[in-house]
Amino acid sequence: MKEVHKNGVKWGMVIDLDKCTGCGACSVACQAENNISFRKDETDRLRRISWLEIYQISNHLPYPHTRVIHMPRPCMHCDHHTPCVSVCPASATKTGADGVVSQVYPRCFGCRYCMAACPYHARYFNWWDPTWPKGMEKYLNPDVSPRMRGVVEKCSFCYHRYHRAKNKAFMEGRRELREGEYIPACVEACPSKAMTFGNLNDPHSEVARLAKSPFAFRLLEKLGSEPKVYYICTQDWVRKQADNYLEEERLRHE
Amino acid sequence: MKKETIWYLDRRDFLKFAVGAVAGIHCSPMPWWLANDIALWTQNWSWRPSPQKGPVSFINSTCKLCPGACGIKVRLVGNLPVKIEGNPLHPINQGGICPLGAAGLQFLYSPSRIKSPLKRTGERGEGIWQEISWDEAIAELVEKLRDLRTNGNSHTVACIDGQRHGTMSRLWERFLKAYGSPNHIYTPSVEDTYDFTLTLMQGEGNGVGFDLENTRYILSFGCSLIEGWGAPTRMMRAYGAWRGEKLGNRTKIVQVDNRSSITVGKSDEWIPAFPGTEGALALGIAHVIIDEELYDSNFVKNYTYGFDKFKSLVLKEYSPQVVSEKTQVPKDTIIRVAREFATTKPSIALWGRGKGSRPSGFYESMAIHSLNALVGNINRPGGVLIPKGLPLTSWPDVEMDDIGTQGYYMPRVDQSKDLRFPFVAHRLQNMAANIQEETFYPINMLLVYEANPFFSIPDNLSFIQATKKIPFIVSFSSYMDETAMQSDLILPNHTYLERWDDAFTPLGLQYPVLSITRPVIKPIFNTQHTGDIILSVARELGGPVARSLQWHSFKDVLKQNTQGLFHYGKGIVPEAEPKEPWKGLSKESPSLPFASSDEMWNRMVEKGCWYDPAYSFGKWNRIFTTPTKKFEFFVTKLTTLLPKARDEVFLPHYEPITLEGDYPLLLMTYELITLVNDGIGNPPFMTKILDDTLLKKNDVFVEINPKTAKQYGLGEGDYAEIQSIKGKVRVRVHLFEGAMPGIVNIPLGLGHTAYDEYLKGKGVNPNEIISVVKEPVSDLALGWGTGIKLVKV
Amino acid sequence: MRKGGPLFFIVGFFIFSLFGWVMFPKILFLEKTQPIDFSHVAHGEEAGLSCEDCHYFRADGSYAGIPSIDKCMECHEGGTGLEGKAAQEEEKLLEFAEEGKEIPWLIYSRQPDNVYFSHAAHVKMAEIECNTCHGDMGEREHPPIYKKNRLHPYSKQTMAMETCEACHQERGVLNDCFVCHK
Repeated sequence: MKEVHKNGVKWGMVIDLDKCTGCGACSVACQAENNISFRKDETDRLRRISWLEIYQISNHLPYPHTRVIHMPRPCMHCDHHTPCVSVCPASATKTGADGVVSQVYPRCFGCRYCMAACPYHARYFNWWDPTWPKGMEKYLNPDVSPRMRGVVEKCSFCYHRYHRAKNKAFMEGRRELREGEYIPACVEACPSKAMTFGNLNDPHSEVARLAKSPFAFRLLEKLGSEPKVYYICTQDWVRKQADNYLEEERLRHE
Repeated sequence: MKKETIWYLDRRDFLKFAVGAVAGIHCSPMPWWLANDIALWTQNWSWRPSPQKGPVSFINSTCKLCPGACGIKVRLVGNLPVKIEGNPLHPINQGGICPLGAAGLQFLYSPSRIKSPLKRTGERGEGIWQEISWDEAIAELVEKLRDLRTNGNSHTVACIDGQRHGTMSRLWERFLKAYGSPNHIYTPSVEDTYDFTLTLMQGEGNGVGFDLENTRYILSFGCSLIEGWGAPTRMMRAYGAWRGEKLGNRTKIVQVDNRSSITVGKSDEWIPAFPGTEGALALGIAHVIIDEELYDSNFVKNYTYGFDKFKSLVLKEYSPQVVSEKTQVPKDTIIRVAREFATTKPSIALWGRGKGSRPSGFYESMAIHSLNALVGNINRPGGVLIPKGLPLTSWPDVEMDDIGTQGYYMPRVDQSKDLRFPFVAHRLQNMAANIQEETFYPINMLLVYEANPFFSIPDNLSFIQATKKIPFIVSFSSYMDETAMQSDLILPNHTYLERWDDAFTPLGLQYPVLSITRPVIKPIFNTQHTGDIILSVARELGGPVARSLQWHSFKDVLKQNTQGLFHYGKGIVPEAEPKEPWKGLSKESPSLPFASSDEMWNRMVEKGCWYDPAYSFGKWNRIFTTPTKKFEFFVTKLTTLLPKARDEVFLPHYEPITLEGDYPLLLMTYELITLVNDGIGNPPFMTKILDDTLLKKNDVFVEINPKTAKQYGLGEGDYAEIQSIKGKVRVRVHLFEGAMPGIVNIPLGLGHTAYDEYLKGKGVNPNEIISVVKEPVSDLALGWGTGIKLVKV
Repeated sequence: MRKGGPLFFIVGFFIFSLFGWVMFPKILFLEKTQPIDFSHVAHGEEAGLSCEDCHYFRADGSYAGIPSIDKCMECHEGGTGLEGKAAQEEEKLLEFAEEGKEIPWLIYSRQPDNVYFSHAAHVKMAEIECNTCHGDMGEREHPPIYKKNRLHPYSKQTMAMETCEACHQERGVLNDCFVCHK
């Protein structure tokens, strides 16, 4: 088992799909916070970079019973045998002691093995050098380093915001953060307050309480990779789709 | 051959030397340093931007990208803004932000920004411009304005204004009045619908508030509640609050809609009614409520007028059976929903299709609002409220000379509030028709402020055609949009991140809020504040116009507004995060702690807003100002206007809409929160998150029910041509079970012919093929749907 | 062994080791001088400023690092009546201020964009002295020569990753990638 941080922090997120309106503010806030580049044509899902993708899921029932909802999908920051980390030949991605799966761009040589390994398609490859229209590079956030072509990038739970929060706490002579001092940009932006972020190891934290909800689930739990992003949804059909099986697998399981 | 030499370097010695050299090098730091440095050299991406570091600071301001008036908190590094976040102090969004607001900096640095005043030198729309100085630009505008006014043609100047909720609109209004023109025209909005519905049924239409956070049951007739309707972020915050309640205690949302939208997906029940029959459905529900005597008899008795007439009409004409046939909604559903609506308290019925970027039907709105009266949920917690107005400083009367008076009292070119039907305002369609057919006076100058009507209004091509008859078009746009492209002179405004501005109470909010927008960065191009331009133009024009607009700068105007709030003395300039302000409605608001109006202004600038959540329930004489001082099912204002009409005309009833031409399918437009479809262009961050079932390369997808698609031999991804009476567009087909059979759904907001490479040429603009239908009696232009043919190509 | 024996080996070893130790650094590093001959002694001991007057922590825990020219001008506005060499250096400062430019200081410990370093964590929490990393900078009358590596934009004096890691290791601090990388 991996090393455990001395204060035992395990950052995690709960996304309440009952509250989520699928507006995409989280995704845009993420792009703005993390200097994510954009191109003229971004309609190719296999090529576009969007750390926090908004998935559309449907119950596939015929009219008039059709329901479509949108679901934000950041990196799941898998806790156990993290699929991307275990395959990286360059040690460019690692699971930190606080559970955040890191990605160091200059270290990555772009083999994209991690992208093949990630069950959530949460990793993105820079097929081109990121560029910005003239002058627009002025809005880039110095807390996040811009990438270069040929490397993989992904959600970092806005780790630089953790640093920022810690710096502030250090100035106040505190070593520990208070709940809510460190939240990623997506959680902060969410207009319906559907996203909660915090220390899953702290039983008093809101995020740990919500993760225990009877309606909480994770994506593809059957893989056993222990994602640290939980979802809550009271609609059965959504929960059922979260742990999807192929037809033949379903037979084996049932 | 062999020579005797002392220093004879043979092969062996050379190798020794070489081995020595290698060993020597390795005993020096050189190889280790080189290894490191070469590694660093490979990481030398000099072409990659390196963001500048510096001290981090935050500035509170207000987003002006939509009328939602969210507080924003701009993060700066040094003096450069790097991110826009929600202002946690602001009561509307409470720290949240919508995708558009979060993408705000892409507007500041947009490649479509207009960098200096421009004068057209080529043909209109050709895009050949000459950069001119501000002095020249203002001089040209002033000269034209002065000529028109001197010749008694001041009324032939019209202004299209896309931002009704702010001091800028008040300033435009005042300028045009002093100058002598009645033609201050807003872009279409559902707000006009609320305006006339309340004017007729309650007496006055100056704003409506829906106390949604406190309601338990919402019957929404096509409102995209969480996709941009009303004040978008406030609605999403409210939604989060409803869903934050324990299961079984959550506000029930019933969504009447013709497609399975995001709002449908997140509602508790979807009632698919055939588009255009929402009014009939409301009356069917009213039938059940009246028939089963589930209505609030106390309210109906004491506070309404004309109930008996309404009752007999509804009971006679709108039985669930009849309504079911009209709307395609099962009879049982109508009955059940009616019972739920009447027995769950408080409940509210909402109208205004989509985001509310275009008006809804006249009788449809009246029919739906009648439901609120039946359950007595007007002026009560969780119901329809009339928010207090903003106590701003009132301005002195405009000084009017003869020319000004004569011009100002001319009828409006859009026939807004004219004698034939005085309740409907702001009708750009009429303006276009009147210019085109020369039925009215000509328009000699068009001023366009923060609007892009050449793209955003239904049947925009006819509108553009009509404007060809306007000799002088002035755009104040910050971006090279479709309207700016077709103008003759461009006086680019600062973006909202570079200027002083404000935002009034947004649509649908229960309580008044005044939000302040302030510059967060010095203007990055040679632009000027349109407010300051109006003031300088007024000064140059001189006379009564100058004397009516004597402010030194637009910032002074804003500052003066605050004096009104200061004298009002109550409300909150937030110091701490508001905790669910909607719970404070029935409490007394605190007094303001400021010693002077200047102090208050400074604090408002720092914190971002002022608001006053207190609401005085009761006080019925404020709510109902109709001739009968009651809520009128039977509208007396109409009886004086149309003395000879049959009773039905004065009552909420169902008017079927006849579409132009004989077409087998109905094209419906829909709106998305991730796709801007009004005055501004979609930013790249938002275009990126569009589903690939909506846009693929440059092709837009229309949603069609698989059954309908099969009839036309269309499969997923097929190309098809949509033909309407107005024209044709090429699209691709997305098979979608959530589309009503027989209806083709197309998103609004794509198909730009202006802006930059990140937006231009993507998809099609449905406005180009929409034929606008005039509603009988009200003469209201409805542009949501149109008859079409679909041809596989 | 033939004539010469290990001589050639020794000669080769000696020449190249000398090259590696003496010549190579001279070739690898481009020596640059700071735009202004700044004296920490003059500011500290003579003018009576404390280190924190210029190198201070902001309230949010970020570190000001090298002060901006505005900070300099708080004292130097209009000149401070210096004489000789010092006056010449002050004149340079006033020129930068006049043109509204920042002084293009060469930053010895500049790190790449993808490195995150928190002064608050090191100074406030770990209580590491400034000179542990920055040497005797505070006692200098002249800034050291800036040795820019010709292969990349960083100086000889900057800290390499293994130095950071070693210290973290020693102090029992995590060496997770995200501790220092962004």
